Amino acid sequence: MKSRAFGTALISIAFAACSGVQAQQQVIGAPPEASNMKLVGYNDLQGRSAYQPTIHHQGDRWIAYIGHHGGTDEIPDPVNPMTGKAEPNGTSIVDVTDPAHPKYLHHIPGQEGKYEGGGAQMVRVCDGKSLPKGDPNAVYMLRAVGSQGHEIWNVADPANPVLVTRIGENLKDTHKNFWECDTGIAYLVSGAPDWRTRRMTQIYDLSDPAHPVKIRDFGLPGQEPGSTGGVPTELHGMISTGPQGNRVYFGYGTDKGGIMQIVDRDKLLNGPKEPTAQNLRYPEISEMPMSAFNGAHTTFPMKDMPIAEFANDKDGKSRDIVMIVDEAILNECGEPRQMVWFADVTTETRPMMISNWTVPEASGHFCERGGRFGSHSSNESMAPVYYKKMAFIAFFNAGVRALDIRDPYHPKEVGYFIPSITAATDKRCVPVDGAQRCKVAIQTNNVETDDRGYIYIVDRANTGMHILELTGAARKAAGLP
Amino acid sequence: MRRLLIACGVTLCTLSGVAAVQHVRSGTAVAAGTWHEIAWPFPRDGWPAGRAFRCDAEACGSEVELYVRPKIGFCNCDTGVADDDEVDRVADLDLMSQRFVPREAGRVIKISDMAGRARSYDLKMVDGSDHTAVGFALSHRCDLMVAVAQGNGTAAGVRRAAVDFLGTNDMTHWMSAALNGG
Repeated sequence: MKSRAFGTALISIAFAACSGVQAQQQVIGAPPEASNMKLVGYNDLQGRSAYQPTIHHQGDRWIAYIGHHGGTDEIPDPVNPMTGKAEPNGTSIVDVTDPAHPKYLHHIPGQEGKYEGGGAQMVRVCDGKSLPKGDPNAVYMLRAVGSQGHEIWNVADPANPVLVTRIGENLKDTHKNFWECDTGIAYLVSGAPDWRTRRMTQIYDLSDPAHPVKIRDFGLPGQEPGSTGGVPTELHGMISTGPQGNRVYFGYGTDKGGIMQIVDRDKLLNGPKEPTAQNLRYPEISEMPMSAFNGAHTTFPMKDMPIAEFANDKDGKSRDIVMIVDEAILNECGEPRQMVWFADVTTETRPMMISNWTVPEASGHFCERGGRFGSHSSNESMAPVYYKKMAFIAFFNAGVRALDIRDPYHPKEVGYFIPSITAATDKRCVPVDGAQRCKVAIQTNNVETDDRGYIYIVDRANTGMHILELTGAARKAAGLP
Repeated sequence: MRRLLIACGVTLCTLSGVAAVQHVRSGTAVAAGTWHEIAWPFPRDGWPAGRAFRCDAEACGSEVELYVRPKIGFCNCDTGVADDDEVDRVADLDLMSQRFVPREAGRVIKISDMAGRARSYDLKMVDGSDHTAVGFALSHRCDLMVAVAQGNGTAAGVRRAAVDFLGTNDMTHWMSAALNGG
């Protein structure tokens, strides 16, 4: 057994040495690649393809709620070992109070389907006590369930979630919702059947989650029912700054023709509701089109950032910044590079891109590793531990990247972590001369952080969830002890 | 000597491959008086340029231009081209003008092994003239092949000319290669 392992190791080394490019190919058993980040804990999420994790502090526990894409051709419905049943991917609930020993609590099945179809991708969580009319003893989880609509579950006992209500049905799609926990206003990414786009916004008052109240539909002119001509690119998601900030930042166009739209929240909620082109324009402050090569997957606002370089300027010492993250869609660099952008929106009617950042491809020969290479998403927590200081970007086969963004004009990487692949890691293929050529690589899809400073990354290729912490210079840059 | 022979062999194979591609592309022009390939007339957008063709009035009843290109990764893998709104969104009509109105509901269409939808439109060109356009959106796994034909003839005539041309061996061969990494 020993000599066999030694022989295998020799062969692996020889194989790796033959080509600098092939040496970058991930192999099972190889350690993660990391700089200034280290692994704290891991959970396999039952081998389900994962989307946005949300980490919620409830009582004296920390609970991770993780959305999932649909299954794979080989395993459309993975078996839940807790029930012994094959269940379509939905929502994983994991106790991460002890991040070194995360404990899988429950899986709520989602919609049947594979890959982008099915599953229950997006999750948001609000305490009942923070909602104006919620049950103060409840903890509410809002999730998007494919084309079935949206659901709200009471997860006060996260091991035994209870369905509270369903919202919408027969939608073309759902995706990256946002829920204001202090007001209950929810912006649901939906595909209303009569709209000309797969994804637009349905705004609901969920201040009493058991009794949702629809406020209006919203989108870009040209998407609304009855319009003709060109159809603007579809919505991806939004982030609201609530009644205090009075702004909602919408991102349209996942990987192409991106648009960042800045909207007056008060006018959006209280203005004329009928979906005419004029009424859709009414709350808009500005639209910033991106290059046709890039999308707007995440639009993350950071208001009033002090800029050290401008400290002695009599005006403009601090700037309002929106970090925009594109999503790479195609495997093996099959499209223009998707990356991270920073827009100065201080003068809201004239937003301007001021910088961008990407992982240098050559640093890992990522275009040859297999799967997607490029950005996908960022952490969205506004907890003080990292907000306006650090940003964590999910970069598919380049893992998670930690950026020091205190100077958004010159963002710089201070750490990274590329998890190891496992036997569960799904292959990714490209067509070559009519046949599928497949490789296996990590596909870090989403990232979130908690108030304690832990970083949670989840894998699209079924590898699971890795819980990380910063070390060295990155930890120092973040101001962590 | 062996290396020289190998190099020559590689060169010959490469030239043959290039010649084969050239043969396919020039063959697509078919006989004079029918469809001719022209330069892609639109500025660069998020997708690489496709191929453009023109059919003269004598052959097609009225002059028709056709623009066709793949959109890789742009289709719902499960549902394909699900509805007419999708044709409006993806069929590249907006390359010509933002002002187009559907004439009628679209219809299911199949070209080679690709299924999808086609829809006809009244198209207001940027010079103010009125044209007819037919948009095609065909799915292949998670990818799209889109085409739009426009001219000043009837919708039925434009559609028929476009469908006949897209269904030729040369075009179906090219579309398949474009979608399969060839």
